[in-house]
Amino acid sequence: MKVSLFLTCLADVVYPASVGKSTVEILERFGCEVDFPKKQTCCGQPAFNSGYHRETKDVAKHMINVFKDAEYVVSPSGSCTTMLHEYPHLFEDDPEWKQKAEELKNKSFELTQFLVDVLNVKDVNAKLNAKATYHTSCHMTRLLGVTEAPMTLLKNVEGLQFTELPHKEQCCGFGGTFSVKMVPISEQMVNEKVQHIEDTDSEVLIGADLGCLMNIGGRINRQGKPIKVMHIAEVLNSR
Amino acid sequence: MSVVKTNNKDKFLNKIANSLGRERKTEGVARPKWKHQPQYEVFKGMNQDELLEQLVEQCDRIHTTAKVTKLENLPNVLKEVIDELGGKSIVNWKDPRFDEYNLNDIFEEFSNEEGNEFHVWDSTMFEENMKIAERANIGITFSDMTLAESGTVVLLSDKGKGRSVSLLPATHVAIIPKSTIVPRMSQAARKLHEMAQKGNVPSCVNFISGPSNSADIELNLVVGVHGPIKATYIIVEDK
Amino acid sequence: MAIKTGDENFFTRVDKGINNEFMRKAVATAQGRIDGRRRDSISSLGDWEEWRNHAEEIRQHTLENLDFYLEQLAENVEKRGGKIFFAETAEEANEYIKNVVSSKNAKKIIKSKSMVTEEISMNQALESIGCDVVESDLGEWILQLDDHDPPSHIVVPALHKNREQIRETFEDKRGYKKTSNPEEMALFAREQLRKDFLEAEVGITGCNFAVAESGSISLVTNEGNARMATTIPKTQITVMGMERIVPTWEELDVLVSMLARSAVGQKLTSYVTGLTGPKDEGDVDGPEEFHLVVVDNGRSKILGTQFQSALQCIRCAACINVCPVYRHIGGHSYGSIYPGPIGAVLNPLLGDYDEWKELPYASTLCSACTDVCPVKIPLHNLLIEHRRMMVEQEGKAPFAEKLAMKGYAFAASSPSIYNMGTKTAPSVMGPYSNNGFITNGPGPVKLWTDIRDLPELSKGKDKFRTWFENRDKGGN
Repeated sequence: MKVSLFLTCLADVVYPASVGKSTVEILERFGCEVDFPKKQTCCGQPAFNSGYHRETKDVAKHMINVFKDAEYVVSPSGSCTTMLHEYPHLFEDDPEWKQKAEELKNKSFELTQFLVDVLNVKDVNAKLNAKATYHTSCHMTRLLGVTEAPMTLLKNVEGLQFTELPHKEQCCGFGGTFSVKMVPISEQMVNEKVQHIEDTDSEVLIGADLGCLMNIGGRINRQGKPIKVMHIAEVLNSR
Repeated sequence: MSVVKTNNKDKFLNKIANSLGRERKTEGVARPKWKHQPQYEVFKGMNQDELLEQLVEQCDRIHTTAKVTKLENLPNVLKEVIDELGGKSIVNWKDPRFDEYNLNDIFEEFSNEEGNEFHVWDSTMFEENMKIAERANIGITFSDMTLAESGTVVLLSDKGKGRSVSLLPATHVAIIPKSTIVPRMSQAARKLHEMAQKGNVPSCVNFISGPSNSADIELNLVVGVHGPIKATYIIVEDK
Repeated sequence: MAIKTGDENFFTRVDKGINNEFMRKAVATAQGRIDGRRRDSISSLGDWEEWRNHAEEIRQHTLENLDFYLEQLAENVEKRGGKIFFAETAEEANEYIKNVVSSKNAKKIIKSKSMVTEEISMNQALESIGCDVVESDLGEWILQLDDHDPPSHIVVPALHKNREQIRETFEDKRGYKKTSNPEEMALFAREQLRKDFLEAEVGITGCNFAVAESGSISLVTNEGNARMATTIPKTQITVMGMERIVPTWEELDVLVSMLARSAVGQKLTSYVTGLTGPKDEGDVDGPEEFHLVVVDNGRSKILGTQFQSALQCIRCAACINVCPVYRHIGGHSYGSIYPGPIGAVLNPLLGDYDEWKELPYASTLCSACTDVCPVKIPLHNLLIEHRRMMVEQEGKAPFAEKLAMKGYAFAASSPSIYNMGTKTAPSVMGPYSNNGFITNGPGPVKLWTDIRDLPELSKGKDKFRTWFENRDKGGN
């Protein structure tokens, strides 16, 4: 099976290779042939959520072209995958691009969703000795509708002592530009989130969206708490 | 003082039509055949006994005392309830069902007791009725329709069936003929829809589910605010 | 009260909210409790999504044919001996209401809870002609006694107050002598307000839904105050937002069933009252005269736009009860009688973007609101739509942001620029690095690093692109 990786800009620009590398290695372990279209950039969400829809269309068209020939597009992000799924709405008045956007939407998956729903994998043979909890990101659960897949995979990670995060449905306060436009509110939200994570007594916070992890992790770091932040791809690639 | 001569209707409705981008619609609109109708699935196929069971269970949740009795024992149960509520003063609807259910004797007995006040709603006495209801301890009505799901008695206003009887006294007793129990509000609404089609909806339809209450102070539930403080339902097997 | 509750700057209000410890605890508890009850109560309904779909189709059909149903309503109200008045503006509505009240020489008015009368500042209008207007909903009464403190929630208006504050208000204003026990205080309110109910010449109510087929209005309460206000006074005036209407009693059932669950987690509230015209001939209680005032006040300009679904709202506050932003800043921060996600959507529509420019941004777009809305208003999408309107139509976006977004879009749609940018960014940020993290960044990064650290940007051989390329070349 041929899979094109959509890395996302955060994993590309901000974070070191680990998240993308883990994603590639897991997919390969389950027989996928992974390619990385070099011309990929960002899903366009920063512009879209800020109301710059003309600009978003330019980005979307570029991304549609980049992944034109892909069989599947898999991304280590629930939120960015959601944005790809949003593309058809951008082209309501443009049937040609709407059609292309639909095609991209139909072949785009978040990593755990792809593993569980498409490859039918439930156990990735990972091993990680740690007390951990998982942050369910809003876009992935509510908009993309992926709730069970990460749980299914994490349950089978050997050595992982898992505690469910209380109030897991609550947003961490990232919200893209919200995190810099509404700093005082974002601060309260992320504080509460960090408190809930601490309440689970976990050593590791796992998440499937680098946006949320950058926010929560940044706050954890600022507060000097001994909690490590890991992307779910890194956890699933631990052996 | 200016007198309002017009109700401003046409100008107002034309503006709406204009906003909706079309000509004003004055006829030819019918409710569509709704695609979804989940309301008739609730308690579907339950018989009267099962509905009764649901009703009694719900009463518990809405701070309402429920008593179930056979017809022949109804007077005794009612008497018991009146005693439990502290007797003293009663106001009743003028309703032939009191006679049909052989309840006249106990009210006669009650009114003969010294210090007790007993009043039957009498439309020739105008506002005097409300004054009596206002100082009464117990108001007694029959239920015209009863909703198992929500523990609701439906009271249809009429000459003898004053709105105040279920509202102004400190406590409300509703006598519920078992045959009036339906699954939920949907069945009562259908009946009211039929009445509306014939143009004879009563001026006041009350759906009453237990005593009045409020959670406006620190979200603490307080039972008994402006309406009755206690509610008792007596469900009677029909004659 | 009007829609706007004060002139303070948004961030000043937010700051006050965040620093109000009692309020925040109260809101957090309330959210947990009300939403918990909501979840329990919908679980017994079968397929909740089917209910939402049904509610949505009812609301959409009604709005699409609003002129027809309002006309049907008007005919039936008149057929039953009631009077109906259509008010395009708040002034028109208040003028009509004042006329009715004056023609009765009424001095005391009892009111049951109504958002639309708040919206049009009806109380002030009536007070200006010398009327005593008494709120009878317990929460509203508390706020009224406390020198018109604004509501902070559309279902539980005094949510931000604790029992001790309420007790003090009762003592100061009404000589209350007992404890802060909620039951004692509620009993006190019952006694106090009973007198008002009995004296009032006019009762004024809102309207949860009007029923077109019979000219009826419905009132959904737990306290029984709306029943009192429509049973005792000789004149009843009901004020409704023009969108609050259903075709028949069958649709009323669906929406009321969902309202009670979504608002307070009850299967039905203690009282759901359907009133048709004034009292019937021979009836003793109930009003002799019934007036229905249908209010537009900015709603018609929402119809036919991409925001039309906002008019599907049934004012249940479920979106408010799950909103993480509301949770931390409280209702007063929104500066409107309509707080929370629905407020952030509605206020700029009923008012304008100048007045309400921050609200569409006071959301992380987490979509918890959209998820719980019983009538399926895509609230978070409408917030994005507001942002788009401000950027595209109104030119209200800050210049720096516009520039940044243009630059971003240019880079993100041209890979060579994007790649060059990602290569140079780490060296630009380099001087700010500290142990692998940026703790005090430049420009917009500073806003981020005000409260949290930023990972040092990946560079060179650490980057995924480098790893993947080397691997392609046979390296590892």
